[in-house]
Amino acid sequence: MANIRLRADRYGIDWKNLLTLAVAVGAAVLWIARAPASDEALFPMPVGKTYLNECGSCHTAYAPGHLPARSWRRMMAELSDHFGEDASLDQPAHLSILKDLETLAADNPAANQRMRRIAAGVPAGATPQRITETAYFRHLHDEVPKHFWRRKSIGNPANCAACHPRANEGRYGEREIRIPAQ
Amino acid sequence: MKLPLSNLTGLAMLALSGVHAQAETPRQILDSYVAQAGAASATRGETLFRGQFSGGRIARACTACHTDDARAMGQHVKTGKVIDPLAPVAQKDRFTDPAKVEKWFRRNCNEVLGRECTPQEKADFTAYMITLK
Repeated sequence: MANIRLRADRYGIDWKNLLTLAVAVGAAVLWIARAPASDEALFPMPVGKTYLNECGSCHTAYAPGHLPARSWRRMMAELSDHFGEDASLDQPAHLSILKDLETLAADNPAANQRMRRIAAGVPAGATPQRITETAYFRHLHDEVPKHFWRRKSIGNPANCAACHPRANEGRYGEREIRIPAQ
Repeated sequence: MKLPLSNLTGLAMLALSGVHAQAETPRQILDSYVAQAGAASATRGETLFRGQFSGGRIARACTACHTDDARAMGQHVKTGKVIDPLAPVAQKDRFTDPAKVEKWFRRNCNEVLGRECTPQEKADFTAYMITLK
């Protein structure tokens, strides 16, 4: 003990600066732990059940932040031939969903960094209708082998929820990915 | 203080109706179709459920997405999304919201048969779904 105290004294270490160090390290750890992980991939989702019930009954309730507003506007204008299906809505639902899509689209003024990246990857004037055709999607899924998509419980790349269990909540975080074996 | 049972039931029903104004039982939904069409036949309903058609754009039969067993989980043939069972015995909220039932008859009849279903077909189909145990 005497030795340690002697050495500590020599370096000018006392309880006061040890405590300062501990508090600083603790604060840093807390700050890091509370910050969202870079892979969290959170997208804001429309409030209420309309979007989930109307759009999410046939496919994943895709987060609006995956496409720019102009894509959504075109899609909503062409709902009677929605990828070959008649998905037209009554007017109140149509208006409410269009508003949600525009408010939360990739290029909305309050978009997060990831959404802005998505919007930046879409050529000016282009109105992509498939999220899977955006540069962002392709880049993030380029390591997924083609045959994975054809597994029965996945079917095709539009089935986000097959591997991203909380896709309907706008959560696509890498740590949550569960790729079904069949 | 003792409350008569009927009062309690009344209160419970009041509470339930507050949760969802449109909620009905599958039996009530069936009754409203029968009122339009006449007697329903679960056998004809099953034939419709298993029938192969060519008028639609998405699928040739209800079973393409809902599987041969309406009590099982289904899967959308195009999007791959899982679909909850269609039979009320397996999925409690099925055939409880008249607007939702109408909406899906309209859409799915169009997508499979290429036309809207008649009240008779809706009555038969609903009757079949209710008989599944």
